[in-house]
Amino acid sequence: MGGSSIANETVGVSSGREGITFYQIITNTYLLYTVSLISFFLVWDRVAAWQVFGDSLARPHIVALKLYDLTQIKFAGTNLGGHIWASTQRVLIGFSLASFFAVPLGLFMALNRYANAIVKPIFDLFKPMPPIAWVSISILWFGVGEFSKIFIISIGTFVPCLLNSYNGIRLIEPELYDVIKVLGGSRKDEVVQVSFPASFPAIFAGLQISLSVAWTCLLAAELMNARDGMGFLIKRGMDTHQPSLVLGGMILIALMAWLSSLLISLMERKLCPWKRSIDNL
Amino acid sequence: MGNNESHVKIRVNNLTKRFGDLTVLDKICFEIKTGELVAIVGPTGCGKTTFLNTLSKLMPATDGDILIDGEEASPRKHNISYVFQEPTCLPWRTVRENVAYGMEVKGIPKKERMERTDRIMELVGLSSCANLYPNQVSASMMQRIAVSRAFAVEPDLLLMDEPYGQLDVKLRYYLEDELISLWQKLKSTVLFVTHNIEEAVYVAERILVLSNKPTCVKAEITVDLERPRSFLDPQFMEIRHQVTELIRWW
Repeated sequence: MGGSSIANETVGVSSGREGITFYQIITNTYLLYTVSLISFFLVWDRVAAWQVFGDSLARPHIVALKLYDLTQIKFAGTNLGGHIWASTQRVLIGFSLASFFAVPLGLFMALNRYANAIVKPIFDLFKPMPPIAWVSISILWFGVGEFSKIFIISIGTFVPCLLNSYNGIRLIEPELYDVIKVLGGSRKDEVVQVSFPASFPAIFAGLQISLSVAWTCLLAAELMNARDGMGFLIKRGMDTHQPSLVLGGMILIALMAWLSSLLISLMERKLCPWKRSIDNL
Repeated sequence: MGNNESHVKIRVNNLTKRFGDLTVLDKICFEIKTGELVAIVGPTGCGKTTFLNTLSKLMPATDGDILIDGEEASPRKHNISYVFQEPTCLPWRTVRENVAYGMEVKGIPKKERMERTDRIMELVGLSSCANLYPNQVSASMMQRIAVSRAFAVEPDLLLMDEPYGQLDVKLRYYLEDELISLWQKLKSTVLFVTHNIEEAVYVAERILVLSNKPTCVKAEITVDLERPRSFLDPQFMEIRHQVTELIRWW
């Protein structure tokens, strides 16, 4: 794609020589992306080099070197891959556990008003509570081990998962059910043929939100207490005053959050091919 | 099905629908013969949609009977198809799967389903976009999918609620012709609701004119014109004028 657009650009420039060539160059989107990113890193580098924050901001290449070093040596028992995996594992377990229960429960609540009447009041009670508020109580209950971290992540991801699958069914156009009713279809036809497929996009939107909440919860949990993981790197960096380690941890966690959300998007494209438009068929 | 033209397929007796104190449908009576295409016209807000929803059993009637072949109409027992005002394609099914969908609910064996789907799609020119999803086709295509789906189940009664009301004039003419040709080929019994008088005279064999609320059948006009009909034919214009006079509210 990049190649062809460059080629087009070349043709355009040579055909309209005396025209708006300079304007075309400075408004090229990719050029602007590059300028934007280079400026950002330059400002960062200068701010760090001039010690605006004292010695508490590492220069970009120092952060990169720090991350590279961590892949070579063991830090607190494991290398960088081990820390990344420790965190990812927690997110995966917590997120899977919560979505495994929350999505079906949300669907069930939307389809069955009795289930809704029983679950909804309790759910409404817990809904506004920020998931991080659970950190301390879960440490009191389950100690500082793996379980309390997974517990916090599950609690945090449960809410958006349930809410979205619930709304996914609630917002279906009633005419779609009428089509089935008129044809003499059963309630089962309605649920299987309309409710489930129609709620897919909303479920996936819920999973996306949940996942970003999961990484937030993970960080909160690991900052409180952990012996490995990316949150641990950040915490250790803070305690031992290594800004490069803190920033490295931040970048890694952002990277992992982005990758995992990409994974969900790919899954959605696979499972809901009908959401694709004709352009990228 | 049968070719007996005088055979009464649908008989509606004293169909009444009340919402609390508001009587929307008031003792509506009429008959439709097998294979007949009947249009229903009426002033705006006369309860045409309520009428169809009651007929299709989506809504319970307050009183009266709807008989199909002499039996109380039931979506489980009879083949009732409904083409709604809004396109009602299932977005997660391809065009082909949407057309076949009605037959799937009806439990028609796969082989026959495929054959009928192919035939109908060929008739309405949907074959070329069989594997596209509804969001990849135009609004008129979507309405054609809904019409094909409705015809494909070989319905005892096909209800159409202003199916072409949202489309521009040119497309509407085209789809009206398509409807007529489908109806002629498949010999379905069709009840076509519209607020467009010209459309009614163009497609129907008989027109039922509804009154203002509480709605009843005010008049019945037989349209005995050769097909294809012409809008400029004096007889056509005469009937159109007659129907217009019956429902004018200005």
